Amino acid sequence: MGKRRLFTWCTVTLLTASMLAGCGGTKNEAEKPAVDKSETKTNNTDTSSATGIDTSEKVELQFYMLGDAPKDLPTIQEEINKLALADLNATVKFNFTTWTDWSQKYKLLLSSGQPIDLIFTADWTEYQSYAKKGAFLPLDELLPKAAPKLNEFVPKDMWEAVKIDKKIYTVPATWKEYVTEGIAYREDLRKKYNLPKPESLETLEQYLDGIRKNEPNMLPLADNQGYHAGAVRQLTTKIVNSSNTVPYGLNIMYDKPRDVTSYWGSPQHLADLKMYKTWADKGYWPKNVLNIKDSGHDVFANGKAAAILGSENPNRYNDSVIKIKSLHPDWELGYFPYPNAKGFAQPVHPIHNGFAIPRTSKNPERALAFYEKLVTDKRYNWLTQYGIEGKNFEVEDGKYYKMLGDAQSNGFPREGMQGWAWRNPQFMLFDKSFDAVLNMFNEFDKIAKPDIFQGFPEDWSPYQAEKAAVEQVEKQYLYPLNVGLVEDVEGGLKLFMEKAKQAGLDKIQEEYTKQWLKYLDDIGQ
Amino acid sequence: MKDNHAGMSLSFKIISYIIISILSLTCLFPFLLMISGSLTSNESIIRDGFHLIPQVFSLEGYNMVFTFPDQLIKAYSVTIFVTAIGTVTGLFFITMAGFVLQRKDFKYRNQFSFFIYFTTLFGGGLVPWYIMITNYFNLGDTYAVLILPGLMTPFLIILMKNFIKSAVPDELFESAKIDGANDFRIYRSIVLKLSMPGIATVGLFLALSYWNDWFLSSLFINDSSKYQLQYYLYNMINTMLFVSQMSSGTGVTLAQEIPTESTKMAMALVVTGPIVFLYPFIQRYFVKGLTVGAVKG
Repeated sequence: MGKRRLFTWCTVTLLTASMLAGCGGTKNEAEKPAVDKSETKTNNTDTSSATGIDTSEKVELQFYMLGDAPKDLPTIQEEINKLALADLNATVKFNFTTWTDWSQKYKLLLSSGQPIDLIFTADWTEYQSYAKKGAFLPLDELLPKAAPKLNEFVPKDMWEAVKIDKKIYTVPATWKEYVTEGIAYREDLRKKYNLPKPESLETLEQYLDGIRKNEPNMLPLADNQGYHAGAVRQLTTKIVNSSNTVPYGLNIMYDKPRDVTSYWGSPQHLADLKMYKTWADKGYWPKNVLNIKDSGHDVFANGKAAAILGSENPNRYNDSVIKIKSLHPDWELGYFPYPNAKGFAQPVHPIHNGFAIPRTSKNPERALAFYEKLVTDKRYNWLTQYGIEGKNFEVEDGKYYKMLGDAQSNGFPREGMQGWAWRNPQFMLFDKSFDAVLNMFNEFDKIAKPDIFQGFPEDWSPYQAEKAAVEQVEKQYLYPLNVGLVEDVEGGLKLFMEKAKQAGLDKIQEEYTKQWLKYLDDIGQ
Repeated sequence: MKDNHAGMSLSFKIISYIIISILSLTCLFPFLLMISGSLTSNESIIRDGFHLIPQVFSLEGYNMVFTFPDQLIKAYSVTIFVTAIGTVTGLFFITMAGFVLQRKDFKYRNQFSFFIYFTTLFGGGLVPWYIMITNYFNLGDTYAVLILPGLMTPFLIILMKNFIKSAVPDELFESAKIDGANDFRIYRSIVLKLSMPGIATVGLFLALSYWNDWFLSSLFINDSSKYQLQYYLYNMINTMLFVSQMSSGTGVTLAQEIPTESTKMAMALVVTGPIVFLYPFIQRYFVKGLTVGAVKG
């Protein structure tokens, strides 16, 4: 009893200490990877045999995915387990975090020492920082042994792109996808009032003015959250991200990535803000625009607004098209993707979707072997992406996905397990309506350039306090400027810059630039 | 008391009635909006916003909620089960603890009280707690994890202790002892009977905290058939939030059905319903204690 309690206390204190270290900064991080390496090495020598992997002992793999479980998950799991038991002498338990507090739960799962064999990773789940902190197993040595097929299947440059500190920690998804944004507008109204296609700032303004004049009950713009500020940057510059802006008001252009300047406070910024002011005066958005919580996408897709500038990527735009087709067949939508204005399109970075093996995994080899099956074996892949053929879906015309029943009655809709990471281009089935998106992707392919921004592992621990302060200042002083609520734009911008500098903007920009340049060195740009 | 009423001037009465009515109207208003929202068609909510009287009447919200009621009913029964078991056992433990802690013949009562009180000030934090429950107690994915953590709240124990102290005079214990009652008998026949208002208060607190709990489901439950009602609802709304926030930046598309505005309102109404009825039933226990006159002199 005494011993056990002591042990508990030790683990608790140790964990708290490690947590503090994780929050506190970089002090301990230098030592950590060394420990990781030695541990994985002992792991390897324990279980490895000369060729392939040892499957003599039956194991249950814990598989963690974000989001909600589909209704038919138990049947799918049963089917998968039949296959996995025969192939790998393993069964899998699919666990889902739900979308409630997923980021907190994700952190708990990785820090609590619970045995987990496979877990989803993405740039937006902070893959880079978890990998740096040593939450995942390095896969470089495991891959050729446990999953040779997968190792071959994923292109070399993708393996290179997901490396953190020269080690692979996640298996990237290989399907090339574009999440670039664009202007979605009402083609039928544009034709009706003979307005120009909104493909540049001038034509966009003409289009919005025309709508304002002819459709007084309609909102010209649906960007309630002030997304237009980021969207205009996408439309008018060759900015390095594929959506929104570079953080902390920095200016990084794709063609000259080493040239980092500040956009905030620049003459261009002032000119843009003045333009937003005139937009607001013309009534492109309502006065209480900062308080509206409705998503712009819904507002646009329900016909309340005539255009949306931010957040409409090809996938989403297609969503609006389908929705409008069923509700108002007489309407017509148009779309102008920003890549056309920028002259290049960036597919998502390989780290955007992936699966990693946490360090707590008891069977890393079996887990990787199972993941290989999931990606490269059509039976596994279809089961987990589309469900059971004949029950959940059908293949139409040899290549299209067709859901059986509707979204309510079907227990496993398309990609019902959020299986973005193990999409395999060779096996993928699309809904007929998705052809429009695929066509768009094909167009983008012609002007595709690799994404150099998304893989950047920003480490904000040196300026964590300043980051929070600047964000607060941004909300308080810049947002009203963005939506034209401040009469004196020049004075407002000056005030914002003053407050931001007080909050430590200079320090952030300096440190961020330093990290960015180092990253460019690492990837050889 | 009577005098006070008679002395209240008419104008004072009128003013107080007006103030109270305005206050209650402001409390009712959001609830009315919710009811009307649940009866409006979703498109109309997005186009015109919420109105007190539905602009386009529709039952689609309720249709959505009740077409596949199995999950909702399951969540409902989990919550009712957890609330009932949790409240009854919780009350038992809390009154027991309160009874013992206020007995003057219990030598270490102050130390124990302090120990309990101490935990309200200093806790291990979320991560150790999570590790404790999942790795050492192995309570993940069980009904027990929904009940146990909320069973004995320090605040309620202290409340109960003080309540028993004020409601049951020490002399009663002595006299009961002289009459030959043992401690359990005293607990059952005197303490429980005399501290009914306190038990009702603590019971209501407990029941409400069980009914409104979603955090435990969120952390420890993986199996969707064990979700509590509030979590089931909260999660639906979060899913929608996630879709609107993330899909813009990441191109994430979710396959699941996303609840519409009217569905959310209908769900909220279905969820708040039963617990509202708890108040009138419990209210009658909130009468003053019955001890007045038990001890003379």
